[in-house]
Amino acid sequence: MTEHTAERPSSDNDDFDAIVVGAGPAGSAAALELARAGRSVLLIERGPFPGSKNMYGGVIYGRILDTLVPQWWTEAPIQRWVTRRQTMMMTGEQALTVDYRTEAWGRPPYNGATAYRPDFDSWLADKAVEEGATLVCSTTVTGLLTDSGRVVGVSTDRPDGDVRARVVIAADGVNSFLAKEAGLYGEVDPANYTVGVKETIALPRSVIDERFAVRGDHGVDIEIIGCTGDVPGGGFLYTNSDTIAVGLVLSLPALAAGGRRPEELLAELKLHPAIAPLVEGGEVKEYSAHVIPEAGYDMMPELVGDGIVVAGDAAAMCLAAGLWLEGVNFAIGSGAAAGRACHGALRKGDTSAVGLGDYRRRLESSFVLKDHRKLREAPHLVMGELAQQKLPAMACGVAEDMFTVTNPEPKAGLMRIVRRQMRTNGVKLRSVVGDTWRALRAFG
Amino acid sequence: MNPPTSTDPGCVAACVKWVDLSPETDPTSGLPVPSAHSWGFSEADRSAVEVALRLADDRGTDAVVVCVGPPDAQWALGELAAAGAARAVLVTSGNPGDTRGGASSGETARILADILGPVGLDADTVVCGDISLDRGSGSVPALLAHHLELPQALGLISVDLGDRPRIGGATRDATTTLMGVRRLDGARRERVGIPARAVMSVEGAVAPLRRAPLGRAVEARRRVQRESSPRRPEPVRPARILQWRPPPRSLPAPEGTDAFERVVSLTGALEERTPPRVVELAPPQAAAEILRQLHRWGYLTDAGAAGAEATAAKATGSEPTDPVTAEPRP
Repeated sequence: MTEHTAERPSSDNDDFDAIVVGAGPAGSAAALELARAGRSVLLIERGPFPGSKNMYGGVIYGRILDTLVPQWWTEAPIQRWVTRRQTMMMTGEQALTVDYRTEAWGRPPYNGATAYRPDFDSWLADKAVEEGATLVCSTTVTGLLTDSGRVVGVSTDRPDGDVRARVVIAADGVNSFLAKEAGLYGEVDPANYTVGVKETIALPRSVIDERFAVRGDHGVDIEIIGCTGDVPGGGFLYTNSDTIAVGLVLSLPALAAGGRRPEELLAELKLHPAIAPLVEGGEVKEYSAHVIPEAGYDMMPELVGDGIVVAGDAAAMCLAAGLWLEGVNFAIGSGAAAGRACHGALRKGDTSAVGLGDYRRRLESSFVLKDHRKLREAPHLVMGELAQQKLPAMACGVAEDMFTVTNPEPKAGLMRIVRRQMRTNGVKLRSVVGDTWRALRAFG
Repeated sequence: MNPPTSTDPGCVAACVKWVDLSPETDPTSGLPVPSAHSWGFSEADRSAVEVALRLADDRGTDAVVVCVGPPDAQWALGELAAAGAARAVLVTSGNPGDTRGGASSGETARILADILGPVGLDADTVVCGDISLDRGSGSVPALLAHHLELPQALGLISVDLGDRPRIGGATRDATTTLMGVRRLDGARRERVGIPARAVMSVEGAVAPLRRAPLGRAVEARRRVQRESSPRRPEPVRPARILQWRPPPRSLPAPEGTDAFERVVSLTGALEERTPPRVVELAPPQAAAEILRQLHRWGYLTDAGAAGAEATAAKATGSEPTDPVTAEPRP
């Protein structure tokens, strides 16, 4: 470890140039950029170590790390490189899967990987510490310190727990209390949130290789739709080295209204004939749950205030757009942008909302907000009734009708099968055309 | 190893051990699953630090936290010491490739004695955590007391620190600085007086560790002083010890005219012998009977057997008996 060599804050009143709250991917990326630029940074983590809550959707897309940590794949604590990507549509006892695999994703510079967040987040936070950031764990930030409406630091749950800085980066995760306290969030709509639940199940490595038809450090990521009954949502299953993770993402209001419990729905998913053989014989090692900012662009808060910027899930940067379920790369991208913008503001001596405005400009010009803006309609489409229930049922029904041999009856034509399935599942041609048009616009 | 600079004489030292707090085994292979995040200091060790801090506050001296462990422990040790210790000392192994400390109890005690002894920190009182979680035996505090030539009070469940409820009426008296309570077999407790210079070990519930102020937590990692234990000498290979085999000796051939007789002669199968005796007795009588049998076999002298009989009789409330005949003694 290199010694802390960052320059001291230029103001005697401040303990640090910047305080980053939350040592997740966004916070650590921000701290890394600031420390690398020579700024004194305090990185505060609530858990006993970064990533202590091992909860996320499954795949880390590492391209964003190329500039932060060159050759990151040689040292990052990766479980498996995803070389198979499946999208599965299911009903009660049917499943239709689109399966794509490529060896190209299994060699440098790779595409996506599964990892344990305690390992990955600690690794990224250590990178920031190596550059000179100061990490303090087991410390909960309880509020903001303000001076004439301007954020000047944070208070924590430790004795003598106030600490001041010229800028605060709130990377404190979804439902950010700091962003709310700073007045950056408007009215919060529960419909914009989902809850994710996940079981991590231990299986021998050889069994995982056999069941998922992979070898070595190659792995599988399966996204599932139609597996949540009358609760809008989706499912996922991905492979680690010697565990698999299976989980659901569920609409919070529908979950509450339906009186369903997420663990019930997860148990039903594990019993589905397409999933049960994959998890059979495994031992559940961990059950976790986490709230997800699902609505993306439409629920983002003001990204900067006087003395404060918001990054990662705290700014609803998680992308949940059906075909694309990405969080960690968006968190790292927004965190890195926050770090660079804060360094620029510190250099200019202006950490007001205006001085920090470069943060939004950086996000606008990067994939972070470009993708979010382009796909802003996608979450609504994905959580709609057509995509959630009717489309999976119709697709599975069409596949079943096509591949069921009805001799001595002759084979039915495809159009006839489709029309029959549309009638059976109550799908109107008008709604299909409308949603297809919306989907084409959403996914561009 | 460079001996650490002595702080104020008579400091209070807490010795802690870096252990896997929640070791996991792979359910499919039964092998331990390595985890970098489950290592830390046990509640007993954290309690030891709190006791040391309170004693140091009480005496107006410094508290020091010492750990013999791997470099991985530095951060956590710093956070532990941030609760109020003047400093923390991490003694890392001088052996390359030793990433988990790996010192035996004896070696750990010797290293700690070097650090805490008169030429080092010159600690008055040493507080250790009780039996460590990694299948520890709790022997380091005892060995440390031996090396430092200090009295020991081990396995304490309560220490009279002046500001917490006292268990078992533990109170200070004129002859001792501290009073403690420790656990004995049979759910009994023992009150012990602890002199000012002593080695103690405490259980986890004695004193929850206070929370470190933010400023000290921020500085925690830099607060740790790194020392290297001397490179361990190459292990002495003991002389190869073989199973004792008596030298062969010539024996006369077994007597007998046919094979059956010779087998009987060799095995002694048909010889007269004392048949096994099965007795069912209450524990005191059983103990007395065992003593009598040992006396009959010659393992106990007459005087020893008589004393044992008297003890057994006292326990059972019966008359003493002759150890040979089991008749009441005149």
